Amino acid sequence: MSGRAVADGRAVAGGRALTDGRAFAGEQTHADGQFLAHGQARSVAARLEHVTLRYESGTQALEDVSLEVAQGERLCILGANGSGKSTLASVLCGLLAPDEGSVLLVGHHVFDATRPQPIDFDAYRKARRSLGLVFQNPDDQIVTTVVEEDVAFGPENLGIPAEEIGRRVERELRRVALTDYAKADPTRLSGGQMQRVAIAGALAMEPRLLVLDEPGALLDVRGRQAILRVMGRLREAGTTIVHITHFMDEALEADRVIVLERGSIVLEGSPAEVFSHQDAIASLGLEEPFSARLARRLALPWTCDDSALECAILDASHLPHFPASPPSVPDAQAANAGAPTSPVRGAPPALRVEHVSFAYVREKNALDDVSFEVEQGASLAIVGQTGSGKSTLLRLLCALEAPDRGRIYVGDVCTTRKRDRRRLHGSIGYVMQHPERQLFAETVLEDVAFGPQNLGFAHGEVLRHCREALDLVGLVGVDDTSPFELSGGQQRLCALAGILAMEPRVLVLDEPTAGLDPRGRRGLRAILEDVRRRGTTIVQVTHSMEDAARADRIVVLDQAHVLLEGTPREVFSAAHEELLTHAGLGLPLPLVWALRLERAGCPSLGAPLSLDELVRALARSGSAVTHQEEDAPWL
Amino acid sequence: MAVKITLGQYIATDSPIHRLDPRTKVCVALIAMVSVFFIHTPAQLILGFAFVLAAVALARIPAHRVLESIAPIIAIIVLLSLFNLFLTNTGTTLATFGPLRITDDGVRAAVLYSLRLVIGVLAGMLLLLTTTPSQLTDAFDALLAPLAHLGLHAHELAMVFSLMLRFIPTLANEASTLADAQTARGGALGEGSPAKRIRAIVPLVVALLASSLHHANDLSRALDARCYEGGAERSHWHPLRMRGADWATLTLTAAYITALVILR
Repeated sequence: MSGRAVADGRAVAGGRALTDGRAFAGEQTHADGQFLAHGQARSVAARLEHVTLRYESGTQALEDVSLEVAQGERLCILGANGSGKSTLASVLCGLLAPDEGSVLLVGHHVFDATRPQPIDFDAYRKARRSLGLVFQNPDDQIVTTVVEEDVAFGPENLGIPAEEIGRRVERELRRVALTDYAKADPTRLSGGQMQRVAIAGALAMEPRLLVLDEPGALLDVRGRQAILRVMGRLREAGTTIVHITHFMDEALEADRVIVLERGSIVLEGSPAEVFSHQDAIASLGLEEPFSARLARRLALPWTCDDSALECAILDASHLPHFPASPPSVPDAQAANAGAPTSPVRGAPPALRVEHVSFAYVREKNALDDVSFEVEQGASLAIVGQTGSGKSTLLRLLCALEAPDRGRIYVGDVCTTRKRDRRRLHGSIGYVMQHPERQLFAETVLEDVAFGPQNLGFAHGEVLRHCREALDLVGLVGVDDTSPFELSGGQQRLCALAGILAMEPRVLVLDEPTAGLDPRGRRGLRAILEDVRRRGTTIVQVTHSMEDAARADRIVVLDQAHVLLEGTPREVFSAAHEELLTHAGLGLPLPLVWALRLERAGCPSLGAPLSLDELVRALARSGSAVTHQEEDAPWL
Repeated sequence: MAVKITLGQYIATDSPIHRLDPRTKVCVALIAMVSVFFIHTPAQLILGFAFVLAAVALARIPAHRVLESIAPIIAIIVLLSLFNLFLTNTGTTLATFGPLRITDDGVRAAVLYSLRLVIGVLAGMLLLLTTTPSQLTDAFDALLAPLAHLGLHAHELAMVFSLMLRFIPTLANEASTLADAQTARGGALGEGSPAKRIRAIVPLVVALLASSLHHANDLSRALDARCYEGGAERSHWHPLRMRGADWATLTLTAAYITALVILR
């Protein structure tokens, strides 16, 4: 047996055809569904008992999962890529039936393996009317080209009367703060706004259970914050939410957290309980929230509550032996921040951007008078919210297009002439957003070889380059596998190897860690650091201020202009806090914490940009307060 | 992000044309588009333009948005008219360039045939610019409903059509991003011999297919989650209703067709 799609015969995963008539769908279903839902005890939104689900390919997606979601609860599901989170989401919103166990959704016994007919299609159809789903990619969830029409789509399918639809559309657009965009074309909105349209569309169906499957994974800082605000409002309204995320700090807002590993629930409890299992969290490829990491490093009583930690730090700084933590093994980032490994002094800059302007349509510049330089072997982070011109800048840097005004030099080659641009392809590697989408060949090796072959390398040379690139990203033993059979994380590495195999002097990446779990993010960072150490200049667009703080230089774009430019220390300073917030960005968490503590009365902590720096600064300030322990062993 | 494709994207304004029942608009647009093939004289041409331009004016859509939308098609029409100009051999010769001969019939065909096509393009574009995909779906659904007895899945067809309109810009955008990625990997898109070009486009097409499948998968998940069931009864937020203006428009269209026939 295998996992089966239960919705209307589209995309049937299992062996059995499940299209049984559309006759049920009519008005009668509606009335029944409503009646049942109201007739049931209201306390449980969903109950899964010993649920096991296998995909046709033999992959075990869920293994003996038992789970109850209480009405009004906010449940957060964590887990590495491929741990079964999305499958569980599909089961919870009635789109996928398991193979074993029993499933109760919003009062309907939709699946019970002990019944002669385990799947009750009719119950599934009724249950789905009270279940909502919003997933990662906002583009794919919007079915029409006017915002309000899209919000009305769900209620129309439910057969809600017209006046009531109008009321709901208005109410939900107000809730997600998009009333002014009611008539807009969703495809012209930012990703964050589109995602809010999708949420409004789900809410307009008044679901008893709303499943949000990584809704913020592809969004910028501002977009993600807006989603979290909407979720806060929903909690106040008593909506039951199941939230799947890769961002640990978001999980702190939940009532309960469960952690999945290879399809099984391995941890369950309040956020504080779950994150207190430090070792388990680490071995599961997740990470603790920032506050918990900080508390641990300071050897303070474990907590992941921000205000509790603040009090603890302020109290502890008056103790003589603060902090008592042994020095942690400095991670790569700290070592990197301390000593720049290689920027070659005196050599011509790897990239020189001089007064560059560019417009796709007349009168509206996508870039306006942008200038900066990147030294050979250095790393540059480009930050800015959606629509600030980042992607355009990357296209120009990769010599895919010439600037309208100004010049860009890659090494000593100017990108203005087409012939020169063509010469540069290969020596600038461009890793597009979601690079796994560019995979096309029959085997991994062929795909990776595409670039070097185009550059006209000899056969042996091509093979050597591919081998090296695949080793570098850690994809070994899959040469002859189809790239489409790799896991999501591996596909990204394969695409990256395809670029690295051309041995570019400059590597340009557009949000390389988007959608990856913490382990994947760490892995990719380590690879990029490796690449940089070999002398490759790295330019990356990122939404993560912490990632940006690890670069040698940062360019902040806002509305086609360079807002700030300089070293992380110059850009991320208390003085720029307001400016950055205004541009939809923020400061890295260590600095946010330092400022918070200073405002609460701590002596100046400097401007720490990494956890290590923050811990060290606190150590210094601790000794300054108490005039003790000058030769602390950790310094 | 590359240039946005603006082909036929709904523009929200409030105008008499926007307010018409989508069924009326679909019928009138189809009639206007078919009628251009019966235009053979300058007088008919003028009448046709008067009819369609009046509609454009009533729709209160900025002229540049209309031009923007039809520009790619106009380019093709101009190309066709050049063929007409050089390849028509009947009539009096006006000028010769080597083997090419321009005749008065050729000039006439080039001007008349291309201009009358513009009328059709304008009518079709106006329909897309003033009607939301949901309205179009409803209209096609209603108009094709009688064919359901013949086994035609009218509603599903209409829905597919509307989703197609919705996803054209998304896929176009994706194609240009993928083309960028291939170019940066030294892929020679649009360069060299035809054989070479075709070979270069294979990676792009495969990747685009894979990603379209991905979109399709996601979309079917979204449609299921929002309880869309093909052929099921749904309610309508803005139910279709024929008003006075709709009957007036249909009458005007009938008058226009009659006039076209008279001017023959």
